[in-house]
Amino acid sequence: MTKLVTGDGRTHIQSQLMRESLQDRKVLSKTNSVRDIQIFPDVSMVSIGGQSIFDRGKSAILPLVDELAAVKKHHKIVIGVGGGTRVRHTMAVAMDLGLPTGGIAQLVGAMEELNAILLNALLAPHGSMPMQRDHFWDLPLYFDAGITPIAISVPPYHFWEPPPLEGAEPMHGSDFGMFQMAEVLGMKQAIYVKDEDGLYTKDPKQHKDAKLIPQITLEELMKDLPEENILDHELYRTWSEARNVKRVVIVNGLKPGQLTKALAGENVGTVITKGAAS
Amino acid sequence: MSERMTIPSTLSAAHTAAPNEYRPVAVMPDVRVVKIGGQSIMDRGREALFPILDEVIEARKRGIQVVLLTGGGTRARHIYTIASELDMPTGVVATLGKYIPMQNARMVQMLLAKHGGIYIMPDDFEKLPLYLQLGCIPVMSGMPPFGYWEKHQEGSRIPPHRTDAGVFLSCEFLGAKRAIFIKDEDGLYTDDPKKNPQATHIPRITAQQLIDRDLPDVVVERVVVEYLPRSRWCKEVQIVNGLKPGQVLAALEGQDVGTLITA
Repeated sequence: MTKLVTGDGRTHIQSQLMRESLQDRKVLSKTNSVRDIQIFPDVSMVSIGGQSIFDRGKSAILPLVDELAAVKKHHKIVIGVGGGTRVRHTMAVAMDLGLPTGGIAQLVGAMEELNAILLNALLAPHGSMPMQRDHFWDLPLYFDAGITPIAISVPPYHFWEPPPLEGAEPMHGSDFGMFQMAEVLGMKQAIYVKDEDGLYTKDPKQHKDAKLIPQITLEELMKDLPEENILDHELYRTWSEARNVKRVVIVNGLKPGQLTKALAGENVGTVITKGAAS
Repeated sequence: MSERMTIPSTLSAAHTAAPNEYRPVAVMPDVRVVKIGGQSIMDRGREALFPILDEVIEARKRGIQVVLLTGGGTRARHIYTIASELDMPTGVVATLGKYIPMQNARMVQMLLAKHGGIYIMPDDFEKLPLYLQLGCIPVMSGMPPFGYWEKHQEGSRIPPHRTDAGVFLSCEFLGAKRAIFIKDEDGLYTDDPKKNPQATHIPRITAQQLIDRDLPDVVVERVVVEYLPRSRWCKEVQIVNGLKPGQVLAALEGQDVGTLITA
């Protein structure tokens, strides 16, 4: 039976953290342990690029929808989408107006949502549904029913977006949002579907001598993280401090079959692993 | 293969071409963003809370616009303890941590209702101008809405962004210069005044000086100290003792009581 403790003017509930400062490092370390519980270890996160896929329109979207309709029969996946050029346009106008970082973060999510609606409209006949913000506890029901959830990719930082390391643009976008969902739910892997074969040493659209990185560990990658990167830097920063996700794959969504192979555990595109060597 | 379709705009490259051109606009710079501590105030009950609310009501009568945000306290510590034992990920712990400050905000609203107290949700910032012009005192949870998206921080399972961070980030979004934290201490001391009678009060310190001291414990959440130097608007965090009559009203009127941590 838990006791209520009084005597110092406050009413406490008996617990390890009672009366303690949660800024105290010694106190905080008591809450730590080696591992988190893995809530959905057999689920893969699939994030589809906004600029790289959706902004290309029908010819890029429809073949990918066909592939998603096929793979969803064999794999438990949660899909998220990026916003693409409309996000960049929103940012450009908002920055010109001098809106605060938190205000910009509040605005951009709407642009991703448009792509989510398009994808749902195309995938619904094969069994898909929009998932409300954090309705993760519905996921077993989705999978039992053969329904693939399409999640909100932008994290709910909104007005509370922390001051960025540089500039005024929010740091927490859809790449981070989907990664963090995979992380907190202990998912098997996060797969990013883009319009390149994976991560290159520099932007292959600008540099002919850019080299593809087929396999690498996060630890190695962080030693010399490509500045021009197909994924947001915040994803790598967060992953470095994270403890659950062990595998992130970047595949080319313009090449049919790549996503299917990645879901099957094959090493395609760029495979980044954390901890054990790839 | 199809091309990416982009939106042509004269602005689309403007910010990348000239990042210094960003000229931020303050949303509601005159608002006082005020935190009522959980463990330090709410868990003390009526004796501590009522006199503080009287001073908030008085400030409101004097035309000062106040937004109140609440902390969690001992019930938050209790659920954090149990969740940690169960190896819950930080994002789950952060989600659990949302509920207690929400209860506290509702308690404060019930007490302030007859004086214009109104409970607001995170997304209600856009309605603040109306509420404040009507003379209301909006009350909300101090917890930021990150929830499951709260990042894990090495060496701990407790979410690094809790209600101090939420108050600071609310203040930063609203474009106010100073976030006010009502606690049960006068602010910072050179040492723990309860244990060391020689400890002296620190009225003013910079975030960098505080970081340089590398204290094992600090009076506000560490992320607040980390963010202060790079914030655009919220450049000061003020800690006042809500148990001393007159301190809250003085702080709401803009006086430098308690401790100021500056950018």
